[in-house]
This record gives sequence, C-alpha cells and structure tokens, in this order.
Amino acid sequence: MTVGALTVPRRPVSTTPDVREPAVSNTRLAIVIVITAESMLFAGLIGMFLVFRLSQNWPPPDLPRLPVGITALNSVVLFASLVPLTRALRGARAHDGTGRGGVKIAALLGGLFLTIQGVEWLRLLAHGLTPGSSVYGGTFYLLIGTHGLHVLVAVVWLTVLAVLERRARRGWNSWAGLEMCTLYWYFVCGLWAVLFPLVYIY
Amino acid sequence: MTTLRRICSTLLAAAALCGVFSLVLAPDALAQGCAMCGTAFIKDDPVTRAFNWSVLFLIAMPYTIFGLAAGWLFLAHRRRGRHRAEVIAMPVTRPVPAPATGPEES
Repeated sequence: MTVGALTVPRRPVSTTPDVREPAVSNTRLAIVIVITAESMLFAGLIGMFLVFRLSQNWPPPDLPRLPVGITALNSVVLFASLVPLTRALRGARAHDGTGRGGVKIAALLGGLFLTIQGVEWLRLLAHGLTPGSSVYGGTFYLLIGTHGLHVLVAVVWLTVLAVLERRARRGWNSWAGLEMCTLYWYFVCGLWAVLFPLVYIY
Repeated sequence: MTTLRRICSTLLAAAALCGVFSLVLAPDALAQGCAMCGTAFIKDDPVTRAFNWSVLFLIAMPYTIFGLAAGWLFLAHRRRGRHRAEVIAMPVTRPVPAPATGPEES
C-alpha cells in the first residue's frame, strides 16, 4: 500500500431534507413579515396622500412651506447611520470585533434625526401648520408622524442593543436581535428615501 | 426538472393563459370600469385623475411587496440548494496513514 492522498468517491446523497438549518432563518423571516405588513400600512397612507396631492392646489398658498433644506441635511444624518450599523452587523457575524460601538452611533444618529424633526415640527406648528388647519397639514403630520413613530421604535431597539453590546464584553453571543434590528432600520431609512421626495419636494 | 420548478412553470403558464383570455375575450367589460366611479366622478376632473392614480398605486403595491418578499425567499432557497450541491460534489481527500513497521519476525 502506498502512502499518499486517497480520493474518496462521491458519498450517497441523503433524500431526507436537512432540517437543522433552514435556508432562511426564523428571525429573518419574522422581520420580513413585519416589514411587509408595515409597507402595506405606508402604501395605504401614500395612496391617501396622492389623492389629496393630485386633486388640489398644493401646497395651499396661505400655509407655511415645509423646510426642505434642513430636512435634506437631516436625511443625510439618517442615511449616515446605516454605515456604522452595517459594520456592527458584519463584525458580529465574523466574530472579529470590528464595528464595535456602531450600534451606539446608529442610535445617536437616529435620536438626532428625531430631535431635528421635532424642532422643525414645533416651528411649523408655531407658524400655523397644524393637523387640523387643513388637509395639507393633516396629511403631512399623519404621514411623517407615522414614519417618526417607526424611527422612535427603532431607536429604542437600537439603544437596548447598545446596552446589551456594552454588557457582552467579549462580543455578541447571538446576533439574531442585531440582524432583525438592522433589517428594520434599513426599512425605516428606505421608507424615508420615498417619503422625503414625495412629501417635501414633489 | 424538480417538482417545485414544474409546479412554478405550470402556475406561470396558467396565469399567462388566464391573462391572455381575459384580455382577448372581455374588451367590452374592460371599457365599463367601476359603476360607482363612473357615476360619482366628473370626466376630466383633477379629483377623478387623483383617484385614478391612487387606485392604480394601491392595486400595484400588494403584488409588488409580496412579490419582492416571495422572490427573496425563492432566491434564498435556491442559493442554499446550490451551496449544498457544491458541498456534496466536493471530493474529499485524506492522507492514508503509513503502515506500521515493526521488527521482522524471524
């Protein structure tokens, strides 16, 4: 018998499915279902907005204009939060500690976005654009307010994850929660990419 | 062809046939539109146009959203199946240990 490498022929393929690891994890499937349901909610709200936007003089001449410039800068803040969060998720998957602190940075940027939105809303309210002033105000606050509520939920989630990350000094034991939150944050940012041009610019 | 692929092909072909038949055989029905919309809205009115666009948007959204989700699931399963096939097809090589050599028996 010679010493060397031995090539083993192809082993028989099992006909029973591999149930140990599904193609799509349960956490991913769950958050995709949630995102799908939330997308349908926003589709209904956008449909409502389109009816009013396209049927009358928009914006009404006697009401204050929306702050496009400051909201555009605010949008940059929101989209910038995607980078540290994505790096944090990649670092958690690779177990190499890269992107540590990214969740905290994303939570801070999300909080900054909400703060600036809140300040702009207070200014608009002071100038007379209230939810009850007209259809213009009502649709604006409903659509942007619903998005803001989703951002608030995501920021709270990110804050909880940041606290958990700080406690787990040796890195993430399980990054399923981080993955779910990251997908939800992608949804929130993608939604803003649709809402900002539709409500503020168009 | 796998069973799943055969089922998908059959469903797609059935959907395409239904679409073709409904377009070819029902031109008069398509011209009528919705009775409520036909009586309630004035022709060439901005409100009518706004409702038209909104309804078109709302009709398209469920198919778009669920189609994207279903497409992502389909691609994830397909990628997983391809990865499994690659793992199974990989030849396994292992070194054969040298035979033990001891003192020759007299």
